[in-house]
Amino acid sequence: MQENGVWRLALPLALAQALFFLAPLMLLVGTSFATDENLTQASLRAWRDMLGDSFNIMSLLNTLRLGALAVVATTLLAVPLALLHMAAGPRLKRIILLAAILPLLTSVVVRTFSWIVILGREGVINSALIWSGLATSPVALLQTEPGLILALTQIEMPLMLLPLIAATARIDPALLDASVSLGGSLLRTLRRVVLPLALPGLVAGATLVFASAATAFISQSVIGGGRLNYLPAQVWQQAMVVFDWPVAAAMALTLMGSVLMVAGALSLLGRGARHA
Amino acid sequence: MNAIHRRSLLAASLGTAALPFGPAGAQTTAMTAAVYPGGWDEALAAVLAPRLRQQSNIAVSFDPLFAVDQIAKARAARGTPPFDVFVLDPGPRVSGIDFGLFEPFDATRLPSRGVLPDGYSDAHGAAVAAQVVGIAYNPTKVAKPAGWRDLFRPEYASRLGLTGFGTTFGTISLIEMAKSLGGSEANMDPLFAELRRIRPSVAAVAQPAAMAGLFQQGQIDVMYTNTYTVTLLRSRGVPIAFAVPETGAAAFVTTMHIAKGSRNAASAYTYIDTMISTPVQTTLAAAPYFFVPVNKEVTPGEDVPMRSIAEISNFVSHDWAVINPLRAGWIQRFNREMAG
Amino acid sequence: MDGVRVRYGQTLAVRDVTLSVAPSEILALLGPSGCGKTTLLRTIAGFIRAEAGRVLVDGAGIDHLPPGKRGVGIVFQSYALFPHMTAAQNVAYGLEARGRPKAEIIRRVEAALAAVRMDAFGARRPGALSGGQQQRIALARALAIEPSILLLDEPFAALDRSLRLDLQLEIKRIQRRFGVTCVLVTHDQDEAMSMADRMAVMRGGEVEQVGPPAEVYDSPATAFVAGFVGTTNRLHGRVEAREGAAYRVRLDVGATVTAESPRGFAAGDRVLLCARPEQLALRPAEDADPAAWPARLRLSMPLGPALIHDVEAGTAELKLHQSRHGPPPPPGPVRVALLPGARPSLFPASLSPEGDSA
Repeated sequence: MQENGVWRLALPLALAQALFFLAPLMLLVGTSFATDENLTQASLRAWRDMLGDSFNIMSLLNTLRLGALAVVATTLLAVPLALLHMAAGPRLKRIILLAAILPLLTSVVVRTFSWIVILGREGVINSALIWSGLATSPVALLQTEPGLILALTQIEMPLMLLPLIAATARIDPALLDASVSLGGSLLRTLRRVVLPLALPGLVAGATLVFASAATAFISQSVIGGGRLNYLPAQVWQQAMVVFDWPVAAAMALTLMGSVLMVAGALSLLGRGARHA
Repeated sequence: MNAIHRRSLLAASLGTAALPFGPAGAQTTAMTAAVYPGGWDEALAAVLAPRLRQQSNIAVSFDPLFAVDQIAKARAARGTPPFDVFVLDPGPRVSGIDFGLFEPFDATRLPSRGVLPDGYSDAHGAAVAAQVVGIAYNPTKVAKPAGWRDLFRPEYASRLGLTGFGTTFGTISLIEMAKSLGGSEANMDPLFAELRRIRPSVAAVAQPAAMAGLFQQGQIDVMYTNTYTVTLLRSRGVPIAFAVPETGAAAFVTTMHIAKGSRNAASAYTYIDTMISTPVQTTLAAAPYFFVPVNKEVTPGEDVPMRSIAEISNFVSHDWAVINPLRAGWIQRFNREMAG
Repeated sequence: MDGVRVRYGQTLAVRDVTLSVAPSEILALLGPSGCGKTTLLRTIAGFIRAEAGRVLVDGAGIDHLPPGKRGVGIVFQSYALFPHMTAAQNVAYGLEARGRPKAEIIRRVEAALAAVRMDAFGARRPGALSGGQQQRIALARALAIEPSILLLDEPFAALDRSLRLDLQLEIKRIQRRFGVTCVLVTHDQDEAMSMADRMAVMRGGEVEQVGPPAEVYDSPATAFVAGFVGTTNRLHGRVEAREGAAYRVRLDVGATVTAESPRGFAAGDRVLLCARPEQLALRPAEDADPAAWPARLRLSMPLGPALIHDVEAGTAELKLHQSRHGPPPPPGPVRVALLPGARPSLFPASLSPEGDSA
């Protein structure tokens, strides 16, 4: 009975996925190979427009690079924090975890717009720079890629930190004692014991951050602005303003495929490193 | 009676339960209208909806959507309209006409049509508000610009917020700039050459929805926008003033249309008629809504550079039948010219 | 260990402990949880800094050395094998950290695996090994760095009972062969008895008795030790008189017995007499010997070649251990007496308020 019953538990989700994800996805694929959204005639025009256009390819590469840089930035910040969490007492552990979750409790839109207040010409950072004499005129932060990465680092941080802490919290403290007692330096202990064991969390975090940052339409358009071109904004523009749904579909599928490929490569990397 | 949709009955019964002071015994009808999110949503829900409920026993529910979203949603619905009434700017209006999204409009079914200037209703819909587009600037930071050309001078360009052809006000502002640089409604080359030149120095290139926030935060001190945004920002304490360019401010009207296949056409006409009626237009023209009225009997607010909608014929206007086919190309070109 | 004191916040976990371990000896730190035995072990390992006192190896203080430089090998309670490395990689870890040449590492890893008879399992990950196999790998890893001291932290706690004896013997055999000095922390008296050359019984951060297992068992220094090491029967009484090296004690259960004690008592002192189960014998109910006291046999339980009698004498519950001859006696009234030549321990009664751990 159990054998038969268990898969039925997954049935509602499977049906919902088929209905609300798979079916629209198929429609999207169909649209991308048609002359218009009514699928009246098959055509490769949309894919030619997407893949044969250097501007669109540049937008795609920009998007993937943005995701990669967000992963690097969140990793650099999250790893020390996860280590601190490992070493911390129960009280500090709770504080770190709360700080990690807190950003999730505000909407992405609010977090994004508050970065305008922080990064703007008269924003918090520039006011501090000018007040302290480190700069004489406002530094361009808003609408620059470094500014966008800075904001995305904060916005996507929980997605890196939570899986990472979940992984490091599972590491038996005795393993660290064992490494140290066997003569392992702090660095060797981190490199040979902590990092390999935290790697599944790191890979999960990197996948989430990459996918989320590469598709962060609101943050990209609001903080990045019109001089930085990323594919999600192009999809929106093609679908909503230009009304070229086939091209929008081809762009959306290209973005989805690229993000999936990176995620797949990350998970392979994680598996490979664990078995090395 | 058969024509009344199940959803309408449900909404009607809920409406009756919620508002038991409707005319006794009369049948409440329900309808859905698209409305711009933000200011329009609040204004119409506060001014238009209660009046409609009281006077005509129509319960209207709003679907807050930007113009492009209304078009996209109606097209995606493929024949079953998601709402009964569109509210659109000229660009999307022409798209809607091209895509056949509207019922033919019979202006004689608007009892109040006399308050509209000539030509403000046609076979597709009726105007319900106007927008006057010009230059907004921060008077505490920069001098008043004389016209569109000034935006390309270094002192303005470095404080300028640019937005592309994605919106009606953006499109007509850029067209006006092109004209001031020797181009025309069909020739944007001079504009793009100048945009390319000032691109590295402009303060921001942003989505239209972000412009007000950037201005409020001091990231930009000059932008092109409508009088409505200027009045609204100033009412919130932002130092902002409206400058009519020397070549004249541009004006356009926002129109309402009845969705193809709507089952509530009668209510939809009443809805539009109530929208243009003098009491509603008077309230909407005042604080805190600051609409530019299309009703000849209503005086526009102080920021609007006209004393009556009759003067709108003096303003610069544009032919969207010419613009729309070119617009997709301009959008792409703007992306590319401003990139990197 | 010379006067080692460790404090956690306000509480003293280890109170001025002085202990010495002879070369090649196994010393067991035995005590209930919270007695400070693990803290003491971690102080030796270098994970904890003592507030006072010193840890010396061959006369040289090692307190200033980090754990990795103390020449100490540790087998953790959870084994703490690195789950992402193979058994061989685990064993090699300490050698690599010490920067030994590759060839030497390979040779010594093989030797260590062979010593614990795990040479066939070097390529496996810990997850693919049984508990006993993991323990051997942990032992090999600790021994591979050729420590001068081997620390074993409850090494058998995670193992099935049936496996324990085999592994205890094996570890003892390997320890003998490597000649490594060994400190074993355990709460299991059987483990301490079978493994240790000497044991230190700890309570409340202090060492109550140090000595060879047989000595600790036969002559417990305190009532707590008597109760914690082996099973003991506790009988309260009053000293009536001194008789040479022994005391005549009137037991509350209604008998007068004689017991030797190195501790001095005066007539009238309240005392606690601790007798091992095998030091007591059942007598017939009609036995009139004044050294025997009336009791009731509740249950007799065969345990291999022996019988365990569960006996009630007034408020005292007694356990008796006898060789099994024929069928067990029926429950009912009996008398209980000390066996001739039995040497029960006498303690002042007031000092053992809670020493009733079995």
